[in-house]
Amino acid sequence: QDRIEEDKEKGAIVEERRRTLSEWLAWRANTEEDLREERREMGLDTEINGVDDKAEDADGEGEQIE
Amino acid sequence: MRPILLQGHERPLTQIKYTKDGDILFSTAKDQIICAWFSANGERLGTYHGHQGALWTVDIDPTTTLLASGAADNTVRLWDVRTGKCVKVLELNTAVKRVEFSEDGTQLLAVTEKRMGFLGTIVVFDIKIDVDAEQSSEPAMTITCDESKATVAGWSYLSKYIIAGHEDGSVSQYDGKSGELLDNYPAHEDGMPVTDLQWSPDRTYFITSSKDKTAKVISARNLEVLKTYVTDTPLNTATITPKKDFVILGGGQAAIDVTTTSSRQGKFEARFYHRIFEDEIGRVKGHFGPLNTIAVDPQGRGYASGGEDGYVRVHHFDKGYFDFMYEVEKEQARG
Repeated sequence: QDRIEEDKEKGAIVEERRRTLSEWLAWRANTEEDLREERREMGLDTEINGVDDKAEDADGEGEQIE
Repeated sequence: MRPILLQGHERPLTQIKYTKDGDILFSTAKDQIICAWFSANGERLGTYHGHQGALWTVDIDPTTTLLASGAADNTVRLWDVRTGKCVKVLELNTAVKRVEFSEDGTQLLAVTEKRMGFLGTIVVFDIKIDVDAEQSSEPAMTITCDESKATVAGWSYLSKYIIAGHEDGSVSQYDGKSGELLDNYPAHEDGMPVTDLQWSPDRTYFITSSKDKTAKVISARNLEVLKTYVTDTPLNTATITPKKDFVILGGGQAAIDVTTTSSRQGKFEARFYHRIFEDEIGRVKGHFGPLNTIAVDPQGRGYASGGEDGYVRVHHFDKGYFDFMYEVEKEQARG
């Protein structure tokens, strides 16, 4: 019985974290898109400086543009 | 994560800043000198002499050409990073508590102290990123903080906003071009000063620390508080780690307060929190006094902390740090 309760609790925590993570990622995606749009309007490069870009790490050659 | 101890200052540290490539770090302290260090091995590269009072703040332009510093001698100084030569002295009315270059390095803001006859201000100077250029002595803009003085301030993405943290715990958003106050939000507890303000890599959001024992992640666009990190000690500094979704917080009760408020020892540790989930995930001990400043390598390889004890401690992150992930993050990464 205790085990079932524990598992339920764990499940709820994981579910909550999933929600928190997806909310944050959605906010980041929106913010990055807005920033790209503003840079486009100003005639600037749409690369964003140091965006929490994990892909950059893969080759270690991530371009950094102000 | 074995630290490198940098000994060169004789008084409490006030600010640490890395260059954009993370190879060099600069430190200021109340002992009137600026130190430059190689972040990889802690070797001292040089010092910058000239200020006649405690140094409060330092910043480097994004091309690592000019260094800006602010001090209790009511001046901002611009230095040639390479030669250590002072190329400009900007006179202000009161002590300078914070300087910051804009994202493109063409503007510099300075936060000035409130003193008898002078309100706190945020002064903006146009900068030519050239050590031989004639720099203007006159501010391009002055923002006066008549409600509560600014303690810290910085430039958002595209220099669109100037964001300031105030003595009363509030955060302001000013138009980056006109200086007009657009918004003010009581982000921290009333009367609890904002002690630090540092940016995310893209400058769309920032973190503030406060004496109210919390740090907050706030959107630059609308001052929405996105995350709150709750600690048990007054905070002096907070920074956002690139590459990993963490924040690092520093503070601690000064010894003199410990005896009056609590019999417990000061807690002189850097605290790591998960940026998204707001949980504390680790602490790094070491300083003998409160942590006054923490800076992170913009390339995400490590961080440095500066203490009331006069030491700078440089840490290089190890594999465990980079591997650390919540189960739901792993899930997400797998797609």
